[in-house]
Amino acid sequence: MSELELRQTTIDAEIAHAPAARRRQRLRLPRVGTILAGAFVVFLLVATAFPVLLETQDPNQIAPSEAFEAPSLAHWFGTDESGRDIYSRVVEGTSTSLLIGVTATVIGLALGLVLGVLAGFGGRFVDYGVNRLVEVLFAFPGLLLALLVIVVYGPGPVTATIAVGLSTAPGYARIIRGQFVAIRSSQYVEAARVLGHARGRIIVRHVLPNALIPIFVLATLGIGQAIVWASALSYLGLGAQPPAPEWGAMLAAGRTYLSVAWWMTVFPGLMIVGTTISTTVLGRALARRGRGDA
Amino acid sequence: MRAAPVTATPTKRRAGIIAGALALVSTITLAGCQAAEPEASGDPVEGGTLVYASGDAEPTCLDPHVGGNYPQALISGQFLESLVSRDESGEIIPWLAESWQSSDDQLAWEFTLREGIEFTDGTPLDAEAVKVNVEHLKDPATQSSTGYLAMGKVDAVEVVSDRVARFVLSAPDSALLESLAQPWTAIQSPAGIARGMDANCQAPIGTGPFVVDEWVKQDHVTLVRNDDYASAPADAAHTGPAYLEGIEWRFVPDSSTRYAALQGGQVDVIDNPQPDTIAAAKGDDAFTWLDAPRPGASNRIELNSGQAPFDDERVREAFIRAVDVNDGIDSLFFGTAERSYSPLSSVEPLAYSDETLFETDLDAANTLLDEAGWTERDSDGTRMKDGARLTLRFPVSTNQSIPAEQSLFEQVQATAKEAGFDVVISPLDLSSWYGALFAHEYEIVSAPYTKVGPDVLRILYHSDSITPAPSGYFANLAQLDDPEVDALLAGAASTSDPAERAALYEQAQQLILGGHYLLPLYDQQNSFLLSADVQGARAMPTVSTPSFSDAWLID
Amino acid sequence: MAHRLSGGGRSGRTLRHLGLLVGGAVFVMWAVATLTFFAIRLIPGDPAQAILGGPGSQASQEALDQVRRDYGLDQPLLVQYFAMLGRLLTGDLGDSYALKVPVADLLGAQIGGTLLLALLSLALAWVLALALSLVSTGRGRIATAVGEGVELTAAALPQFWLAAVLIAIFSTGLGWLPPVATGTPSGLVLPVVTLAIPLAGFLAQVMRESLLEAMAQPFVISARARGESAVGVRLRHTIRHAALPGISLSGWALGWLLSGAVVVETIFAIPGLGRTLLQAVTLRDIPVVTGVVLLIALVYVLMTVLTDVASRIADPRLRQEAEAQR
Repeated sequence: MSELELRQTTIDAEIAHAPAARRRQRLRLPRVGTILAGAFVVFLLVATAFPVLLETQDPNQIAPSEAFEAPSLAHWFGTDESGRDIYSRVVEGTSTSLLIGVTATVIGLALGLVLGVLAGFGGRFVDYGVNRLVEVLFAFPGLLLALLVIVVYGPGPVTATIAVGLSTAPGYARIIRGQFVAIRSSQYVEAARVLGHARGRIIVRHVLPNALIPIFVLATLGIGQAIVWASALSYLGLGAQPPAPEWGAMLAAGRTYLSVAWWMTVFPGLMIVGTTISTTVLGRALARRGRGDA
Repeated sequence: MRAAPVTATPTKRRAGIIAGALALVSTITLAGCQAAEPEASGDPVEGGTLVYASGDAEPTCLDPHVGGNYPQALISGQFLESLVSRDESGEIIPWLAESWQSSDDQLAWEFTLREGIEFTDGTPLDAEAVKVNVEHLKDPATQSSTGYLAMGKVDAVEVVSDRVARFVLSAPDSALLESLAQPWTAIQSPAGIARGMDANCQAPIGTGPFVVDEWVKQDHVTLVRNDDYASAPADAAHTGPAYLEGIEWRFVPDSSTRYAALQGGQVDVIDNPQPDTIAAAKGDDAFTWLDAPRPGASNRIELNSGQAPFDDERVREAFIRAVDVNDGIDSLFFGTAERSYSPLSSVEPLAYSDETLFETDLDAANTLLDEAGWTERDSDGTRMKDGARLTLRFPVSTNQSIPAEQSLFEQVQATAKEAGFDVVISPLDLSSWYGALFAHEYEIVSAPYTKVGPDVLRILYHSDSITPAPSGYFANLAQLDDPEVDALLAGAASTSDPAERAALYEQAQQLILGGHYLLPLYDQQNSFLLSADVQGARAMPTVSTPSFSDAWLID
Repeated sequence: MAHRLSGGGRSGRTLRHLGLLVGGAVFVMWAVATLTFFAIRLIPGDPAQAILGGPGSQASQEALDQVRRDYGLDQPLLVQYFAMLGRLLTGDLGDSYALKVPVADLLGAQIGGTLLLALLSLALAWVLALALSLVSTGRGRIATAVGEGVELTAAALPQFWLAAVLIAIFSTGLGWLPPVATGTPSGLVLPVVTLAIPLAGFLAQVMRESLLEAMAQPFVISARARGESAVGVRLRHTIRHAALPGISLSGWALGWLLSGAVVVETIFAIPGLGRTLLQAVTLRDIPVVTGVVLLIALVYVLMTVLTDVASRIADPRLRQEAEAQR
């Protein structure tokens, strides 16, 4: 048998012998989960662009006499320590929180992509050099990086975004380089090389498409991570500026009152988890389509 | 327990004190759980180690002469003692010094030390030791801040005899005794000081009921009982060594963890409890609440009158009239903090308060701002004048303001907005916060100041305090520059007549409050939660730090 | 399943490889020291002031000038830089500005505890992640969905919230474990779990991806075709492939845990490098900041060398690739 015939036979065997569950996975899972995820993301987008449509009250209106009220019909998510409606604040905070999450992830990914591509394909010396550079960034504690940026440029969502983005870049670089290395030694790249294709063509036509999909999935995970990282900065006293209703800051501030008002942390927390899960589910659904279910 | 009578000649007047014989100090027993000194039940039990969890920042040096902040006072109060102390009514009482008298011109003070007291390293407590300590405070190499300022008018200390030390002053100082009652001017062993700062920071040597055994950074300090202790202050419950074998002083920065440790019995005493845990503990028999506001200034918001827009008194008054904090204080502090209308703490007998100046009146605020020319409006409602927005920068130190207070500041921001003020809050770490202050990048700020006595008004509101030290630090954050206030404060600082002193301070406070330079909020909150097993603990009426020399553990 | 290291004539290449590793490590340490030196100079604030007691200090102008001379702070930047490098080469980390004790003593007392916490957390995270991904991969739609949901939620849990909940349940509620870590083993349980859970969530996601890929490989199909059980296939063939990215991530995770555990250290009152770093930056204590960064870099570099060697032993592809590059 020729090499190609052997490959085709292998693929057929794969499909034939794969557990039935995996076959079903490809056909049905995307429906329910993806729809829910999609709906949540639509909610997020509306909250980002037109929060007024979804809010029930003014997110910054204080009412000290109504502080610490449990969730009710009047206040769907309850009120915080100054009597502000948490549901409206969560909606208002969507744009800032998503901005931090997405921008930080984009910064981290972009840097990581550059470093990863260089490391994976720049030849031996470039690979070595870039690897050392990545290691320097790794060895430099992310916390210090974040602290430096914030102390030098002041607190706020912009510096928090940059701080988180810079701290996560080395992680992405590592993973991306790993992906490239794995793909580089895989069968189809081998085949392309054997067939004499130019290195650039190999990268563009074979490597990038196959690497980008897992990276894209990674990015959707990263959004939630970035928001949580930023909320840790708020807990340490270095985060958003009041009265900004950023989810992470609300989480950090609400923690003080965990025993008195659980709703102050649970609802912003659910938003963060919901964002992470829905973007990841959507990302994977898109990835599956991109892969063509193969 | 009555104070020991003073033996010096009674014909001379003394600044700031009434003869000790007139001071009737007794342990005050208050019904209920809230007190500066809770009622003790049962007989003292020997033995046991008390575990204390502190939420204040860990000191960088245990010697309170170096720097001089409240975390240092908290712990050094267990092993160091001062020349004099203060009782519940505000009178100065004997401690390491059993009597004192001043000269006619108020430029020399002679302190007679108690007999037979030794530091825990065997060095005797004598006049030479006092001289060494004051020189240590005034020596720049010591890097003292609080103690250095307290000894500002002391030129030198002379050894008159073994037990008599003479303080020579450059000018009359009516606050000298109050300054000497503080932990930052405590008397340490000269031999201990001679070891050098590195060693003395790790374990200062004093005369107190406990001794520093070891300090594990970021974790705990082990204190053991001083078995030869014999120098309790005049208002202590008993005079001998402590009942406790020792104290384990832990550093636990997170307030929820501290409270959980108290609830679970892992620790016996915590400080800096969050207001909601105080409210919960109030009704619980398993805990005792020790409420001991710090002396000196109250917690207040200062308005920077040195630059626009607050150089205009109408704008200052408008801000004060617009802001509404009473509801917020009630709900955020769960009823454990009382609104203050005075620049001084409520534990200061000479505090003057005027509620009428601080009634919320939004209409009056708007009128005043219109009068002052801030008539245009921005798109988001902020007032404008000649193209400038009515923006107030408010740097907040996250190291010094508890979450409830930070939330209160957000409410200040919200209520001020209704009159057209745009308050910009910046949460900053300590060094960055000081940086903003030194660069005058603030319109409003809240900065606590703890000191014994009304002399703190001179530090905060005399125009001399506008001039920064070489480090950039200045204490007059309101930039108050009023010759009348200066004269009153200077006069009060040098008079030896208590009645005249009280009158001068009252007039000064009237001017300070009336000029709308500050918005008083509440006393510097200083609470402790004790397990019901702890008996006999009290907060010292000096700077409200906890004292365990009379304390014991049940079972 | 052991693979012999290449022996005999390949020793020259091995030596060269080791030399490159060590050389790289030294370069990284130097680069970190340099980066830290110049980055710290960006922070506003006067070091002389930090030495003399911080912002509230009453230090006179003469005292400030004297300190600048004593500490060489009035020298040009490059001179200070080379002086620092020189001190580092002799192992002198200097004295803390704020605490007046040698930095080496300060960090030496804390590194043990911090490392212990980090290693235990990493180990627990590994166990949890492996267990979760092995149990829930390839067993059907529901198992996968549940597994992914658990991973995502775990990775999205903020540490300070998780710690508070764990304390509320296990300390205040059940009374099993103490909230403050006082050096006893039971005091370490909650901090380790708090650190491990989010990390496990993250590791599990990565492992799941490689596990899925590994299970789709022809050799797995053929093993199943030969009649091996599903469990056997997982354990024997795929675990190594799933674990590989985990190994390389562990180096990064350890470095992150050393300083990034500051939130957990603060909540459970554990002395640690993260808290030390945060306090040092707040107080502008430059020697301590430099010391902590260098220490973490050192640990990270050592871990990298170790994992590099471990990967080469475990993954024949890397060795093949290395050979292909000759």
